[in-house]
Amino acid sequence: MKRISKLLTMAILSGFFLNSCSSDDDIVDPIEEPQPEQAYSDGFFVLNEGGSGGGSVTFIDNDLQNVENEIYQQVNAEDDPGQYIQSIFFNEDLAYIVSNGSNMITIVDRYTFEYVDRIDSGLLSPRYGVIENGKIYVTNQGNYEAPGITEFDDFIAIIDLETLEIEQTIETNTVLEYIHEEDGLIYVQKAAFGTGNEIAVIDSNSDEIITTIGTEETLNSFEIEDGVLYALSSNKLEKIDLATGELLVEFEINSDAGNAGNLEFENDMIYYTIGNSVFMMEESADTVPEEALFSYTSNSDYGVMYGFEVENDRIYIADGGDFASNSFVEIYTTSGELIENIEVGVGPNGFYFND
Amino acid sequence: MKKTHFYTIFLGLLCGLPVLAQNDTLNVLDEVFLTDTKLKDFSTGQQVTVLNDSILKKNGALLTSALNFNTNIYFKENGLGMVSSPSFRGTSASQTAVLWNGININSQFNGQTDFNTLNAAGYDNISVRGGGGSVVYGTGAIGGTVHLNTNLDFSEKTKQDIFLKYGSFNTLDARYKVKTSGNKWSLSVAAARNSSDNDYEWPIEGKKNENGEFYNNNLNLGFAYRLNEKSTLKFYSEIFDGERHFSLIRPSETKTKYQNFDTRNLLEWVSEFGDFVSVARLALLDENYRYYANIATENYSSGDAQTFIGKYDLNYSVSKTLELNSVLTNTYTDGNGSGITENTRNIFSSAVLMKHRPFQKFQYELGIRKEITDNYESPLLFSAGTHYKFNDFYSLKMNISRNFRIPTYNDLYWAGAGNPELNPETSNQVELGNHFKHKDFKFSLTGYYIQIDDMIRWLPSETGMWRPRNEESVETYGIEVLTGWQKQIFKGHQISASGTYAYTVSENMNTGYQLIYVPFHKATGSLTYAFKDFSIDYQLLYNGEVYTRSDNNSRYNMDAYLVSNLGLSYNFGKKNTYKIGARVLNFFDEEYRSVEDRWMPGRNFNIYLNLNF
Repeated sequence: MKRISKLLTMAILSGFFLNSCSSDDDIVDPIEEPQPEQAYSDGFFVLNEGGSGGGSVTFIDNDLQNVENEIYQQVNAEDDPGQYIQSIFFNEDLAYIVSNGSNMITIVDRYTFEYVDRIDSGLLSPRYGVIENGKIYVTNQGNYEAPGITEFDDFIAIIDLETLEIEQTIETNTVLEYIHEEDGLIYVQKAAFGTGNEIAVIDSNSDEIITTIGTEETLNSFEIEDGVLYALSSNKLEKIDLATGELLVEFEINSDAGNAGNLEFENDMIYYTIGNSVFMMEESADTVPEEALFSYTSNSDYGVMYGFEVENDRIYIADGGDFASNSFVEIYTTSGELIENIEVGVGPNGFYFND
Repeated sequence: MKKTHFYTIFLGLLCGLPVLAQNDTLNVLDEVFLTDTKLKDFSTGQQVTVLNDSILKKNGALLTSALNFNTNIYFKENGLGMVSSPSFRGTSASQTAVLWNGININSQFNGQTDFNTLNAAGYDNISVRGGGGSVVYGTGAIGGTVHLNTNLDFSEKTKQDIFLKYGSFNTLDARYKVKTSGNKWSLSVAAARNSSDNDYEWPIEGKKNENGEFYNNNLNLGFAYRLNEKSTLKFYSEIFDGERHFSLIRPSETKTKYQNFDTRNLLEWVSEFGDFVSVARLALLDENYRYYANIATENYSSGDAQTFIGKYDLNYSVSKTLELNSVLTNTYTDGNGSGITENTRNIFSSAVLMKHRPFQKFQYELGIRKEITDNYESPLLFSAGTHYKFNDFYSLKMNISRNFRIPTYNDLYWAGAGNPELNPETSNQVELGNHFKHKDFKFSLTGYYIQIDDMIRWLPSETGMWRPRNEESVETYGIEVLTGWQKQIFKGHQISASGTYAYTVSENMNTGYQLIYVPFHKATGSLTYAFKDFSIDYQLLYNGEVYTRSDNNSRYNMDAYLVSNLGLSYNFGKKNTYKIGARVLNFFDEEYRSVEDRWMPGRNFNIYLNLNF
């Protein structure tokens, strides 16, 4: 029974929702401090959600030559970052590793990966987090409800950055997923698993939902850039005025190859994926591309494009593999040429840049 | 504190022993290993191991422990008492069939039996048969079958058996059994309770098994009535009511629990006329579970399946050496649950068996079975077995069969995902057994090969929806060794030993890699020495290292482990039918686990009292 429910959870997570990146990943630490010797800087982390054992983190330097697996376990003996690690977010010198299966967030020094602290009470299936105004905002999916129960118990936990205590929770009675911060406002995607088409906007001063932005189609990922909200569903890309919530333009995406996902905005270009293919279009384009930029080869039954990111003229793809053995990531140029294929841990699901 | 308490009791017992051992009545060991039972008649070419009542008392009420320490079956247990799935001859959990008094009780929902949802105290003996058995026992009989049996006799005697055991982690194992009969009737009642806080320490500083507590209550009933010389009515019934919390890896995890309430009823009418024996059976099985994904809330997911079985078995003895047997079975299941809308399914099967002993030393058996159902394409199943006894010392057995595992309710009817096009998993298998016997020594060496096709896996379809498909093929082969020996060495000194060893290769035929959580090596052993009323026994269990990664990356292997139990007992009372004893489990405090991050208990203790009258 438990196996089936886990299976279905996994099914839902990967079937509908392959995206695992967020614009918060790219926050560059403004404070230039001298870094310790074995610094995990000038590179990026690959999050491996893990199988029956705990998850792990891989560090790869920007030259793609130096690869270190299981850096958390190496630095912090006898510990791991938890079951099914979902995401990382950063604040100053700290990295916050979210474990969905263990209901906890492990805080480490982002350059040494040494354990600093841990938030391990009050969270329930945490997904993504962001820090603003001295507070941590974390989406929680609660108990994965039994089929037939329509009420959602998802919530946003608001945690004091200093005490690490949960100060407040916001319930929406919808499923919750990605969370982004922009100009002091917190944007929370009230959609996942093929249901939901809203984004809640929370004022980080009052910690209240001040408005809700609707999209036409079921959301699977979104980006915010220059006052424009880019919302992606399986067959539509919508541009929405962030201030008014007005639909500016929408594009139909039709593909026999599957559903669109993994929306990314980088250097005035829009990227998304369908199946094992990457599509790229200019922000100002009038139509969506018919041809894929490139496709990669995957043998994975349910982990194709399990992680996807575009950063500094490189495209990063994580393949989930079979979730029971080490898998790989591939790094491409923005013209679609493969630079490197690198073995990482079990079920890689995201890239986090640590410059 | 608790631990100290047990040390004291244990030491106290040790000090008392020299005095107690002065009693000079002979203690006859009642362990029986490698003994054929009634299953023998339908197991030509295969081997049946019987675990009797005294073995079932040694290893506690969790059926996993009893089978783990005494058979070749490998168990993957999520911590003591938690979800436990068997791998018999390298096959999957749904490829071992469990028979309750001959009725297949694997779950309609997932096709498996969780061996920690059965209480060993409910049965008079448990038989384990390696190899295929679908012709007789139906779905899931690929790796082997486990038979839970209640015995009824007409001895006109009354026997009562009280067994009370208490041990570390507040573990209680209480059993009461009464068997009473006249010359026309027989009654057997077995009641049991097993409960534990199960909060043992982990071999990690400051960590213990959290949220692992469980209890279960079990009631078993058997009744037989002789209508006349040639006709007997029998009725068997079982109620199991259990609740387990599932233990956590970390305290921050969401606490879950699982309740199951299962009832099983069987009515049987055996009658003889001329050379015919007819057995008509009606069975009603009801399985019921609730899974609480967060015990802080009242929400749960559940399933309820009722299965009605009508079976007619007719045996015709053509001659003293030739038997023909036909079995007609109709199985009707009505099930529903979270994610599964109410569905019924009906399966009719017919089987024909033949057994022939053309001459004294040679016997063979043939069987075929075919099912009729709307649910799946039913393959023609068959089995053929031979047994040739060269002499008193050596015999050779061979068995070839095709078996299957049918799609489950989850596979077929899961809302929006169930796949009505599924075929059963099918196996083609062969085994060859060499059996040696010399006086009190028995030894067998069996080699087998199984190829399983159309293994059912849940994978996303083109639309992203997860659906089950007939996907993989697995090839498994290996050898099994079973051995036993017992002897009275001097007057009053009795010694007995038994052991098993299994070498198992189980490969995914697409990748060529060994399946994860299937050890190449497993061994068990037991040694009992009895002097007068005093008895000491040692048990060991060895599981070789297992892969946890599908690409067989050995860096992540789980270590092999060797677990030992040591027990002492003393018989007393006027007729020596009372027994007091103590056991140390995991004597050498091995740090082990059978699933990643799911530690098993270190050294722990129990004491027991057993009264027979």
